Amino acid sequence: MIYLKDIKKSFNQQPVLKGINLKIGKGEVVTILGPSGSGKTTLLRCLNFLEKPEEGIVQVGDIQVKSKKATKREILSLRRQSAMVFQHYNLFAHKTVLENVMEGLIVTKKYKKAEAKRESELLLEKVGLGDKHDHFPSQLSGDQQQRVGIARALALNPEVILFDEPTSALDPELVGEVLSVIKAIAQEGITMVIVTHEMSFAKEISDRVLFMDGGVIVEEGSPLEIFNAPKEDRTRQFLNRISRDFSVSFLEERAN
Amino acid sequence: MGKAFDPSLIVDFIPTLIYYLGVTLQILTASVLLGMVIGIAAAILRVFRIPVLNQFVILYISFIRGTPILIQLFLVFYGLPAILLFINIDISRMDALYFVIITYALSNGAHFAEIFRGAIKAVDYGQTEAAYSVGMNNSQSFFRIVLPQSIRIAFPNIANSIIGSLKDSSLAFTIGVMDMMGRGETLIAATAHALEVYLSLAVIYYAVVLLFEKIFRLYENRINRHQSVDVSVTG
Repeated sequence: MIYLKDIKKSFNQQPVLKGINLKIGKGEVVTILGPSGSGKTTLLRCLNFLEKPEEGIVQVGDIQVKSKKATKREILSLRRQSAMVFQHYNLFAHKTVLENVMEGLIVTKKYKKAEAKRESELLLEKVGLGDKHDHFPSQLSGDQQQRVGIARALALNPEVILFDEPTSALDPELVGEVLSVIKAIAQEGITMVIVTHEMSFAKEISDRVLFMDGGVIVEEGSPLEIFNAPKEDRTRQFLNRISRDFSVSFLEERAN
Repeated sequence: MGKAFDPSLIVDFIPTLIYYLGVTLQILTASVLLGMVIGIAAAILRVFRIPVLNQFVILYISFIRGTPILIQLFLVFYGLPAILLFINIDISRMDALYFVIITYALSNGAHFAEIFRGAIKAVDYGQTEAAYSVGMNNSQSFFRIVLPQSIRIAFPNIANSIIGSLKDSSLAFTIGVMDMMGRGETLIAATAHALEVYLSLAVIYYAVVLLFEKIFRLYENRINRHQSVDVSVTG
């Protein structure tokens, strides 16, 4: 499904990814955790070549690309295997909510306009924005924009959806709305790779958790293994540092 | 000098002169449309640093910006037929109007190119990334996502430039085009009431500019409607 071999990437001679190997199966929900600068977002962006790895092989679905001799055509077909939900939403600013969702269907999936419209309306209904078709992104709140972003990604019916810190730019009280939409999609069996700082969300939603630090995957395992019995010191340190609020909420959840 | 100042003549002159506004607007429309094509094409060559052509565009823009439009007008009027004669095309009998349109198109093109270049770069790169993420190729992402947004950003400056170009077009009479200004010159020759003629021309140009500003403002509001700040209530 997704297969990464020896992915290396550096910015200004500063290595950010130091040889990542990874396999993700169909329908798996994988979250990537790690301190900032650990390379987790870069890794995610290598999956659709928004960052071009210097070395290694990227495969998504049936499309395999060797980084060193990737052609434009290969990159395009690789990108068409996935869809991405961005930290800052990146909705097309000059298009309405409905047009944002339709755009990919019309341009890359070659849908007829009416067909694309019907499909998009269904998806907007699903993310709870059935009444916002004709709004422009700037007229929506952050969580509404991000839900449009999710609908836009879903519309493409991709092999995998990549989430790049989907709630990091949101006001705290709006995070829940977006997370519950993502949870609902996860239950439909769509393959997802999620970079996030929401620990309890990661714990709840993931089939597998990767912990990255210093450009390598330090540890991976089930949420239970990573959160309750991390093997590596670095993982433990990271979880301890952020666990203050997390452990409280986790205990609360248990108590309920 | 001319005869004694007679304000009532202005009322007579304005209708005579306004009859030739059509020629002025014709020059403006044709040169703005052509200039838009040249400008967007040149901006694309600059933004994507297309080798050789990029350098050529830099030279072109620098030349247009560095020389007076009056001289450009004469260079095109005398130079273009001379150059085309080398390849056996004789355009020396072509209507002077076309030379004016070519000159202003080239001049507008250079100014528009710089405006568009800045506007294209001002569009957030996240828009391009989003376009790539839904599977668009370079040209789809540029023409469907980036360019429409950059036109909105460029518009106020383009509008300014168009108004400037309207006023510059008053030089067309120097190569013998009978526009408003040209008709004004003949009126002066016939009546010797120079001040009244120039005042009439000032009134007409000013009125047209005010009208243009109004139209541009309405259009700007329209293309900026998706930037409106009325954030709808959540839920």
